Amino acid sequence: MGKIELLEPGLAERLSREREKSWRRKLRREISVQQRLLIPRQRMPEQPPAQRIRNFLEVNLGYSLETAKKEAQRCLDCGYPGCVAGCPVAIDIPTFIKYIEASELERALEKIRETNGLPAICGRVCPQEIQCEKNCNLVKARKEPVAVGHLERFVADYLCLRSELGTQPGCVDSGREKIAVIGSGPAGLTVAADLARLGYRVTVFEALHISGGVLAYGIPEFRLPREILSSEINFIKSLGVEIKTNFIVGKTASLSDLRELGYSAFFLGTGAGLPGFMNIPGENLLGVYSANEYLTRVNLMKALRYPDFDTPAPSGHKAAVIGGGNVAMDSVRTALRLGAREAVIYYRRSKAEMPARKEEIKHAEEEGIIFNFLRVPVRFLGDEHGRLKGMVLQRLTLGEPDASGRPRPVPVPGSEFEVEVDLAVVAIGQNPNPLLITKVDGLNLGRWGNVEVNPDTMSSSLPGIYAGGDAVRGGATVILAMGDGRRAGRAIDKFLKKC
Amino acid sequence: MNRIRLSARLAPNTFWVEVEAHEIAASARPGQFVMVIPDKKGERIPLNIAHWDKNKGTIEMVFMSLGVSTRKLAAFKAGDFLEGVAGPLGRPAEMANFGQVLLIGGCYGVAGLYPVVRGLKENGNQVIFLAEARSRTYLYWDDRIRKVTDKFITMFRADCFSSGKDLSDIILGLRQESPQLARVIVMGCSYLLFTVSEITRSTGLKTLVNLNPIMVDGTGMCGACRVTVHGKTHFACVDGPEFDGHGVDWKEYFSRRKAFFNQEELALANFESKASDLKE
Repeated sequence: MGKIELLEPGLAERLSREREKSWRRKLRREISVQQRLLIPRQRMPEQPPAQRIRNFLEVNLGYSLETAKKEAQRCLDCGYPGCVAGCPVAIDIPTFIKYIEASELERALEKIRETNGLPAICGRVCPQEIQCEKNCNLVKARKEPVAVGHLERFVADYLCLRSELGTQPGCVDSGREKIAVIGSGPAGLTVAADLARLGYRVTVFEALHISGGVLAYGIPEFRLPREILSSEINFIKSLGVEIKTNFIVGKTASLSDLRELGYSAFFLGTGAGLPGFMNIPGENLLGVYSANEYLTRVNLMKALRYPDFDTPAPSGHKAAVIGGGNVAMDSVRTALRLGAREAVIYYRRSKAEMPARKEEIKHAEEEGIIFNFLRVPVRFLGDEHGRLKGMVLQRLTLGEPDASGRPRPVPVPGSEFEVEVDLAVVAIGQNPNPLLITKVDGLNLGRWGNVEVNPDTMSSSLPGIYAGGDAVRGGATVILAMGDGRRAGRAIDKFLKKC
Repeated sequence: MNRIRLSARLAPNTFWVEVEAHEIAASARPGQFVMVIPDKKGERIPLNIAHWDKNKGTIEMVFMSLGVSTRKLAAFKAGDFLEGVAGPLGRPAEMANFGQVLLIGGCYGVAGLYPVVRGLKENGNQVIFLAEARSRTYLYWDDRIRKVTDKFITMFRADCFSSGKDLSDIILGLRQESPQLARVIVMGCSYLLFTVSEITRSTGLKTLVNLNPIMVDGTGMCGACRVTVHGKTHFACVDGPEFDGHGVDWKEYFSRRKAFFNQEELALANFESKASDLKE
C-alpha cells in the first residue's frame, strides 16, 4: 500500500481538513458503523449474458440514485483512507462518496474532477480491485470493499450526460505559453486538462481522425460507450483545449517545427501503438490479426456496423485470441459479438496470473468464452489460398518466477497438438509507437523503445519535453497514464514558471 | 475536413483530386502517401501524393476507382469536403545521384512517380520513364512527365499483340543500351510490380517496388500492411512503401491484398444499390 503522505505534498492534511468539516461529522453520526457494516455491497445491474453477446451495448447498466446512496453508506469514512493511497491520481474518494450519501451529487462530481478529468471513463475501465478497492478498510473487516468504481461512474453519468455540468467555461489565458500535447489518449487528455485549468494554451495533436487514443480505437463500446467518451472529451475541450486530429507529429510536422510555431513545452503521450507479434511461422496468413488491427477496425472504423460503414470486420467461426490481458479479453468478447461460434482464449500462464481486470474475466466467463491456460501457439497453419485453418499449440508448465515476479512458462517437450481455427488475434502486448519518439535527437529511450523519464516529474532527457502513459510504460492502464499526465502537468507548470 | 479544389477524370477509371492540406503540402517528400477518409462512414485508404504546392497549400492524388472508397472519392466535386486527410506517411523515396534511373509507372503509379522523377532530376540523375497502360486512352500526364524526364517511353498492352514486344523486351533492351542504368523504381498495380521484379531478377539490376497493401491507420499501429521482404516481416506503412522487389514474398503479398475480397464485393454491391436508389 502506498502512503498518502508520499503521494502529494499536503494531501494528508487536505483530506483530514475535509473529513473534519461539520457536515461530514454529522453524516458519520447518522448511521452507526455497525449498521454500515451490515449493508451488503450493491450489485451492478448488467445486461444478461445471452442478450449482450448479440449486441455492442454496455454490459454494466449503472447504479440508480437509490443504490448509489446505499453503497455510499457502506463507506465508513475512516481516518486513514487507504483508498486514496491506492489511487494513481489521488482522488479524494471519501469526500466524493460522502457527498453521494448526502445527495450532493454536483459537489461529488466537482470533487472527483479536481484530480480526475475523465471520471466516467475511470469508473468503467480502472482495475479498482488492485487500487482503491484493494486498500478499502472494509476488506480488513472481512467485508467486500466499497464499490468505488461503480460510484465514480454513477456520479459522472448522472450529471454529465444530463446537464451543462458536462462542460465548464474555459479559463485559458491568451497571453500564456503554448503547450503541445502529442496524442489524445488518457495521458494526453489529462495533462491537457490540467494545464488548461492553469490558464495555459494547450493544443493536442492526434494522428487518427477521431480523438481519444486507445479509448477510441482499443476499448470496445460494450465497455465504454462512445457517447461517454465524447462527453468527457467535450468537457476537456470546454476548458479551452484545442484538439487537432489527422496531425501526425513526426510526419505532418516535427517537434522543432512546433517549437518554431511557439510551443514552449511538449508532452509525448504517443501510446503503445506498436503491436507485438510472436514471430512464428504462418503469422502473416489471412485470418491472423494483431489485436490493434482487430479492435481498430471494429471500434474506430465501426466495422461492427459494416456494411453501413465501409470498413469490413475480420470474420471467423472459430476464433482464437492469444493473450491474457484486457486487450485479449476485449478481442475475444468482440469476436463472440461478431458471430464466432467458438471464442477461445489461449494464455501461456494460468488463471491466477492473468493481467486482465477481474470484472472482464468474470464477464467473459459468463458470456461463454472458453479459457485454455498453459498453451502457446508455435505455428499457424494455412490452406492453399493462404487462409488460416488451424494452429499448432504447445503445452506449458509454470516454472520459477521471472523478472516480472510471475512464474515463467516452461514448454513441455513433445506436447504439440493441432486445433482448428479460422480467426486468430494476437494480443500479447504492445510496445511504444516509434514513429515520433525515435526521431527526436537526444531523447533517451529504454530497452523496449520506451521514453526514459524521471518518474516524479515525467521529464525526459530533453529540457521542456515530458512523456507519459504507454509511451513510457509499454502496455499499461488508463489510470496509470492519467497519473503520469497529472505529474507531468505539475512539472510543466513549474518548468515554465521558472523560465 | 479538407476542401477539394479540383476533381477530374484523367482516363477511364482514373481520377485526379487536388485537396487543401497546408501542413501536408509543407512537409511532403517524393514517394510518400496520405491516408484519406472520404466521409464519416468511410475507410482509411492510402493514396500516393502525386504533386503538392506549398504556396497554395494543396496536394494532388491520382487513383483508380475500384471499390467503395475510391468510388466515393471519384464522385466528389470541387468545393466538396473530405472527412480527413493525414500524412505525409511512409519513408520518402531514397534520393541521391545514382546516375541513370529507370522509372516504370502503371495506372495510378504514373502520377505517383511524378514527384520521384523530379526529385531524382534535382539530384542530377538521368531519368528514363516508362509509362505502362492498357492503350493510349489510358495514358495521362504524359506531357507533364515528359517535360522532366530525359527519355519518355510508353508501352501499351494493346500493342503487345501486334508488335510482339513486351515489357521484358523493353526493359532488357534498355539495360543493354544503357549499361550505366543503376536502378529501377516501379509503382502501379501488383502485377506490374511483380512482373518487373521477375524480369530484372536475373540481371541483378536493383529494383525497388512501391507496395500498396491493405492499411488501416497507416502509422505503424495495426500491422495490417505486413509484407515479407528477404524473409523478414515489415510494415509497409512505416518501413516502406518502397522495397527490394527481388526480396518480396509475392505469393503472400498477392494473397494478403485479397484479405477482404468477399466483404469488399458485398460493400460494393450495397453501395451501388444505394446509389441507384438515389438516382431513382
